Amino acid sequence: MAENPPARPNPPTTPPTPASGQRSTRSGPGVVLVAVYGLLALAATGRSVLQISEYFSRAPLAYVLSALAALIYLVATVALARGDRTSRAVALVAISVELVGVLVVGLASYLDTDAFPDKTVWSHFGSGYGFVPLVLPVLGLLWLRRTRSS
Amino acid sequence: MLFPLTVVVLVAAVCLMAVAAWYAARSRVGDDRLLLVAAVVELGLLVQLVVCLVHLGQVPGGGAEQATFAAYAITLPFVPPAALFLALKEKTRWAMGVVAVGAFAVAVMTARLQQIWNLRG
Repeated sequence: MAENPPARPNPPTTPPTPASGQRSTRSGPGVVLVAVYGLLALAATGRSVLQISEYFSRAPLAYVLSALAALIYLVATVALARGDRTSRAVALVAISVELVGVLVVGLASYLDTDAFPDKTVWSHFGSGYGFVPLVLPVLGLLWLRRTRSS
Repeated sequence: MLFPLTVVVLVAAVCLMAVAAWYAARSRVGDDRLLLVAAVVELGLLVQLVVCLVHLGQVPGGGAEQATFAAYAITLPFVPPAALFLALKEKTRWAMGVVAVGAFAVAVMTARLQQIWNLRG
């Protein structure tokens, strides 16, 4: 995607385990990132299933966004845990959407309180989850950058 | 009646978090002591699961609260094994970070469980 450093050593047939120049997104600090993403995926999925199955009509918009958040966390967790080249691209998209999502929903939940009568993972910038949802995408993007092939 | 068990699980989870943080600070990976503490946490969570399911009917607030309560109780015992599984393949101090995060999650979820339980009149 971005400009590659000259003479990229990876032939296209490199196996998923990045042995040549590229650090796995799962190694080192990345494994903690995967764990936290996994937890949020769990929390968001659980909350979303409950919201949609039990009281969807109360706040359809917020609950659809909850489900979207859950899906994005799941995708990001799996992509970061796999860490091959395709997964990195998937992770980049998922985490970017996540960052935009938490900012937009966070702001909207303050401006239009009627649409968000109930909490979601992203409302109020993730304050119900210790603002982890706000910090996590930033860390995720930094980590993807850090582990970019050298 | 859930409260004493909650205290046991919370203390064990905080111990696990402390041991993991200590190991991480000293760049060590997991050993038997860490596994022992994790086993105590796991045992507590399994007992908690049984107790919660047996007394599920006493949780007030209808289906939604009961579903949340059961979901927390059922999910909790999976957290320590999942954290250890992730930590197993990582041979740096960050493995202990994963264990600490898992232990923290166990503590928070157990506290939430107790909170829902306390809603009984």
